[in-house]
This record gives sequence, C-alpha cells and structure tokens, in this order.
Amino acid sequence: MEAKKQTYSSYKFKQKIIPYLFLTPNLLIFSIFIIFPALIGIYYSFTNVTLFTFDSFRTNGFENYVKMFNDARFIAALFNTIKLVLATVPIIFVTSLLVALLLVQPLKYKGVFRAIYYWPVMISAIVVGIIWQWILAGNFGLFNTILKSLGIGAIDTLINPNFAWWSVVFAIVWSRTGYYMIIFVAALLSIPESLYEAAKIDGANKFQQFRYVTYPSLKSARLMVFILVTMEIFKTYPLVVTLTGGGPFKATEFTVQYIYEMAFKSYQVGYASALSVVMLLFVTIISGLNFFLSKGGNNK
Amino acid sequence: MKKATVWQYILAILLIFVFLTPVFYVISSSFKPINELFSANPTFFPRNFTFENFQNALSRGNFLVYIGNSFIVAISSTILAVVINTMSGYALAKFRFKGDTFVMILILSTIMLPLEVIMVPIFSVLRTFGMYNSLLALIIPAAATPTGIFLMRQYLLTIPDEVIQSARIDGASEWKIFTKIILPNAKPAIATLAIFSFMWRWNDYIWPLIAISTRSKYTLQLAIANFSGEFGSDYSSIIAMSAISMIPMLIVFIIFQKQFVQGTVQTGMKG
Repeated sequence: MEAKKQTYSSYKFKQKIIPYLFLTPNLLIFSIFIIFPALIGIYYSFTNVTLFTFDSFRTNGFENYVKMFNDARFIAALFNTIKLVLATVPIIFVTSLLVALLLVQPLKYKGVFRAIYYWPVMISAIVVGIIWQWILAGNFGLFNTILKSLGIGAIDTLINPNFAWWSVVFAIVWSRTGYYMIIFVAALLSIPESLYEAAKIDGANKFQQFRYVTYPSLKSARLMVFILVTMEIFKTYPLVVTLTGGGPFKATEFTVQYIYEMAFKSYQVGYASALSVVMLLFVTIISGLNFFLSKGGNNK
Repeated sequence: MKKATVWQYILAILLIFVFLTPVFYVISSSFKPINELFSANPTFFPRNFTFENFQNALSRGNFLVYIGNSFIVAISSTILAVVINTMSGYALAKFRFKGDTFVMILILSTIMLPLEVIMVPIFSVLRTFGMYNSLLALIIPAAATPTGIFLMRQYLLTIPDEVIQSARIDGASEWKIFTKIILPNAKPAIATLAIFSFMWRWNDYIWPLIAISTRSKYTLQLAIANFSGEFGSDYSSIIAMSAISMIPMLIVFIIFQKQFVQGTVQTGMKG
C-alpha cells in the first residue's frame, strides 16, 4: 500500500517535470543564442565596446544614440530601407496576387505551373544576387546584349545608382513572388463557391466579383502577406552582397549592411548595437502588428 | 467544369519564362569556356560545351570543402531541429503545466528577434562558448525555430490522447512514448519541418558570415558571397558553384514539392 502510494506520487511528480524536460533543448538554445544576446546587445548599446575590447570597456550613456542622429550614412541607409519597403511591398503584393488568381483558374497542368513559379523561392539570396548580377552587369551582360539586338543600345546598369536600386527591388520581387503566391492561392481556394454564385445571380461581372467577393474575402491573407513581406524587406542584405555590394555610391546600402560593417569592419560594436536596438524597435512594431492583427498568439 | 482560356495559358507559359530563364542562363553559362563567359556578344547556350569552370571551382576554389561543409551543416542541423522541435511541440500539445503561457510568449518573442538584429552580440556569445569559427555554431543555434515548434505542436494536437494514455498504462516510459508513438505518427509534419530546415540551412548566409572566419570552414553560400566580393573575382568558379549549389534544392524540391506548398501555407500562417 505504502509503496504503491509512493510510486503514484513519484509518477505525479514525473508527469509534472516531463514537459519541462521536453522543452529544455529548445529553451536553452533560445535563451543562450537569442534572448541573452538581445539583452547584452542592449547593454552594449550604452557602452564604447569595440570588436577587440570585449574585456575592457566603459559605459557611455546615450552617446551612441545621440551619435546616430548625426550619422548621415546611417540615416541614408535607414531611409533607403524604408524606401525599399515602400516600393517592394506593394509590387510583391500585386504580383503574387495576380499570379495566384491565374493559378486558381481551371488550367491543365496547374501543379507544374505552380511548382515552376515557386522554384526561385528555393534559391538562396546569395545565388539570386549572382544570377541577376550575371545578367545585368556590364555592357556585355545578357540584358545589354538584348537591348543592343533590339537596337536600343547598351545602358548603364549596376553602375547607375537608380538602376541598381530598382534591380534590387526587381530581384526581390522575382525571387519572392512564388512564396506569397502560395499563401494567396490557399486563401483564394478557401472562398466558398456559393459567394460567387450569389454575386453572379445579382449580375456582377468579373471585375465586380473580384471587387466585392474576392478582395474582401482575402482580408487575413492580405494582412499576413503585407506584414511578412515588410519584415522580410526590412532585413534585406544577403541579396545585395552579391548583386550590388551596396553600391554604387552606397545607393543600395540598407540598414543591416550598415550595422554589419559598423561592427565587423569599423569594429564599433557599441555603436552598432545601438543601431541594432533601433532596428529592433522597428521589427518589434511590425511583428507586434502581426501578433495583434492576425491570430498570432492564440492559434490553439 | 469551366475551361481556362487560351490567353490564360499564354500568360501562364510567359510566366514560366520569367521565372526560369534567369536560372537557366546561369546554368548554361556554367558550361561555357572562359572566352565565351566574357564575350562581348554572349549567347544563351554555350557554343563550345566545357566542364572547365567546374574544374576551376574544384582546383582553385576548394569547392569540395565548401559543399561538404554545407552538407554537414544542413543535414546535422535538420536532424537536431526535427528532434528538439518535435519534443517541444509535443510538450506544448499534450501536457498542461505551470508556465505554459510564459513558454509560449518566450517562443513567440524569438520571432521578433531575427538574427539580423542580434548579430553583433551573437558574435561575442559564440566566442564566449568557444563556438566561434566552428561548424557547431551553424548547426546548434539555428536548429531551434519557433516556426518548427508551432508546426509540430499543431500537428501533434491531432494525435488522440488515448493512444498516449494507453501506452502509459502499459508502463511505457515517456521517452519511449516519444520515440515509438509521437515521432512515427508525426511523419508528415516532420517531413515538412525537415525539408524547410534543410533549405534554410543550405541557403543560410548571415550565420556563416558572423560565425566563420577561415576558408576551410566556409559553406557554399559564404564562399560564393566572399569570392564574388573580391577584386577581380574568379567568375568561372563563382558561376559553377552557383549552378551546383542549386542542385540539392532542385532534387529536394522535385521530391517534396507538395510539402513545400503546404508548409508555406502553414508556416506563413504562424509568422
């Protein structure tokens, strides 16, 4: 009797700690490699630590934060990033929705089309950069060769700041449309056919059906795509490494690249941490929106 | 059943060209001899077919080392990711415990801390733990992903509690329940997590950029990026490496296309 009671209570105890044991590996990694770095990053942002002085540095209050207001290169990179978000988000939004609308038509071999449109999503940003640099760069790239054969003549491509900037937009749209297309396709397929039947009975034409049935029904998908793209564009860096290198004349230098170079090329870890905190604020606001506006937390 | 119009087919086929031509151009370039690579009038297909660029990548670029590192990282990190994220997903799906809301919030908060905003302090953490310039730094930290946990949790909710309860009554240990019941029953979700994890790690750039300093530890992506940034870059090797780096993903994609499409919808939903 006594023994049985003991095993029962030890069973109860085991049942209590087991979920924690199962969670341990993940929570350890999250704590050590995400939460802890985030906290020391905030601490570093109030110090003058450099890449070579992790053992001896001093706090310097808000010096780093004040400094960034006079840092023309940072302000330029930040505005450049915001501009990139403002330009790219609507374009991806439209392209992925249009392609998705095409894919829900009764096409034969739909699966093949969908797979091919999705394929660039699987290519790393580094290689996407290489692909488009290889096509666009120089007088002798495929792009200028085509222009020449059309009788237009070669133009300045990646050495022209404007062209380089738009080619970043273009490369992002080309490589990411497939991803968001899938989200829209799923949302489009979940719209009940009866809504369209009703609209047809009311005499709605194709455009009106889109305007009054399709578009409103996509509300949560639109919001999700909007926020996911914004987050993603905000972190643009690897693509730029191989496509433009941030040039010409810093025309395609965005926040992440500047922070990286400040920390690892200028060794100003403290200052770079302050810049990261500012970027973190932006990201938190965007993903906070995600959390509150979509079902984020309560997907039970 | 309605049929699609001719215009819709034409558009669909045009889009194939938009998405595939750039990729094929790089692949076909990788078979061009050097003089054609830098020709003033490049053709789409090579006039003279050659493997010279791949040989260059092997001899000059130490290509095999990078591809080996990429495979080691992608495969081991994926195995680790499957095990630990399924464990967490199981705990969150099938146990009630004190602090479960807190754990959920902690996991969600990691979504808001992308690597890009913590890369500076990560560097000093990796040094403190002696993981700097080691492949372990690319394998272990990245294996834990909030997306993976939520994906597994969502799927494991569908396994009936009775199955787990009756195993407990039969005296199975919790670890045995996990390995003999949970893992085999979660195969579809595990497949999704595994292929996504493989893709993330294979295509990763920021982690290797921060954690790796010597060439012998380079992954394919880091090698391509660093070599393309060098003055007078060796385009012969870079193009060859880029073409080859897409092959494993192409194979994975052809086999698991369905999982990618479903997974995009599921993981996208979870942010």
